[in-house]
Amino acid sequence: MVTLNHYLWVSGLLFALGIAGIVLRRNALVIFMALEMNLNAANLALVAFARYNHVVDAQVLVFFIIAIAAAEVAVGLAIIVALFRRKQTVSVDELNSMRL
Amino acid sequence: MNWYAIQLECLLAILAVVVLLTDAFRPVRDARRIGLILSALVGLTLLYSFTMQPLGEAVFQGMYRLDTLALFFKRLFLLATAFVLLMSAEFVERIEAGRVEFYVLLLLCATGMLVLASANDFILMFVALELVTICFFVLTSYLRRQVPSLEAGTKYLILGALSSGLTVYGIAYLLGITGTANFEKLRAVLTEAPVGEATGLWFGMVLVLAGLGFKIASVPFQVWAPDVYQGAPTPVTAMLAVGSKAAGFVLLMRVLMTGLLPLEPVWGPVVLGLAGASLVYGNLGALPQRDIKRLLGYSSIGHAGYVLMGVAAVNALGVAAVLFYHGQYAFTTLCAFLAIVAVTRVTGRDDIASFAGLHRRAPILGLALFLAMMSLAGVPPLSGFFGKFQLFAAVIDRAQMDARYYWLAGIGAAAVVVSLYFYLNVGRAIYMQSSDRTDAIPVSWPVRVGLWICMGAMIGLGVYQRPLVDAALQAARVFGLE
Repeated sequence: MVTLNHYLWVSGLLFALGIAGIVLRRNALVIFMALEMNLNAANLALVAFARYNHVVDAQVLVFFIIAIAAAEVAVGLAIIVALFRRKQTVSVDELNSMRL
Repeated sequence: MNWYAIQLECLLAILAVVVLLTDAFRPVRDARRIGLILSALVGLTLLYSFTMQPLGEAVFQGMYRLDTLALFFKRLFLLATAFVLLMSAEFVERIEAGRVEFYVLLLLCATGMLVLASANDFILMFVALELVTICFFVLTSYLRRQVPSLEAGTKYLILGALSSGLTVYGIAYLLGITGTANFEKLRAVLTEAPVGEATGLWFGMVLVLAGLGFKIASVPFQVWAPDVYQGAPTPVTAMLAVGSKAAGFVLLMRVLMTGLLPLEPVWGPVVLGLAGASLVYGNLGALPQRDIKRLLGYSSIGHAGYVLMGVAAVNALGVAAVLFYHGQYAFTTLCAFLAIVAVTRVTGRDDIASFAGLHRRAPILGLALFLAMMSLAGVPPLSGFFGKFQLFAAVIDRAQMDARYYWLAGIGAAAVVVSLYFYLNVGRAIYMQSSDRTDAIPVSWPVRVGLWICMGAMIGLGVYQRPLVDAALQAARVFGLE
């Protein structure tokens, strides 16, 4: 029997993977992918809550998150492309022109 | 539809769309003039907002509140937007392409902030927060041929998206467990149910706090602030420092003092710790800085600490102090950035050394920047002094019951002393150091008007605080705290 907790564990796992990706990876594109994974972890949790706790608002929020994630990707990829054009790299370790 | 409640937001959004379409069909030649006109229009909207009356009930199924607190912050955002548009008009010649879109994005960003001031529901809060954040992604990286701006944009993008992810995951838990996204209903649910049981609630609360902590640039979510402040175009930095920060604080107060008030024993010590840590980090970090925008980035972390003192106090005095502080901080910070924009337009450099001998090259810019620094440091009789005084009074008031708050007040006092050093350092460059360049820096009349308004407000609110204090106390009553 699949319960709410099963879904929450999977969602938590996705979220943890997203955070790990942001902290450990150095490629801006991969980091960006991990960020989107965080949003999808939230989506999974919301849908599970909506199903088991009968919270309709949660489903509404899922649609908003999907739309916002799309907007974020559109802007984010544009910025990363602009960065690549200027610096020929998307490694976050190279983002060090501003110091003291 | 209750149009009355959302008329200011509609006005700004319509203005943005009209400007965007006009530019698409009839390309604007003189972008500076459009900026000045927009600044004046937003200023008129600000004046118009003083005729509006608060609504007692939440509208749109309880999602939207037009109470005194919302009106207070809406006026603050309109003021900030008017000044930032004025700065942008002076700055716009340094933008290669998309000059008019720069204004449009600022207006849309301001629309999001106005909505945030009224948000009474997690879903609306999240959507409006993203409207603001995504506009800032574009705005920070707007100078797309300059490496610092792009780096600032990428850093803001990654950390901003991370904070959205944390916030929305927290909201998912709060919403899923309590079954409501409305702040007042959430409070009712939490008051009835025994709090200790659900660890999921605590988890959700911590994540939402983390997301908002990013907005207000509080430790430990502050890493982005110095870099983004330094790299972003100066008007955008000003909007981040005044608008985005105030939006974060109004949300923080609504979430904590309406929705999560029953959990106060849990989040109270957390906010206390964040306040102390931000005070220490921001003020010590600012000491060795040589770039004025980066300095203001660290200073902004320190000021998040001061304002969090008022939030941590959780009393009516504290909320009123937070509001007053934001009111005067807006004038002070806008004054500083307006002067910086006018100076860097000629010098093209941001380091403090390039401000040497400013009082000879442009006396009004030197005076304005000096007064702003002194007000930020909290030197009487400027408004920053009274703002800090109120925050300390609120914390001391709370300390009567909880001795830990004496520590917070002590850290705050030490931070004020430390901060005098780096603020005075800027003043020293302006008045005591001479530079080999002595040619005058031209100051256009709109900038002059803006600077005089800001300086008048800094001195006026320092000497005669009554009107703003009354407005702040009235708005603070929204929460019904003692």
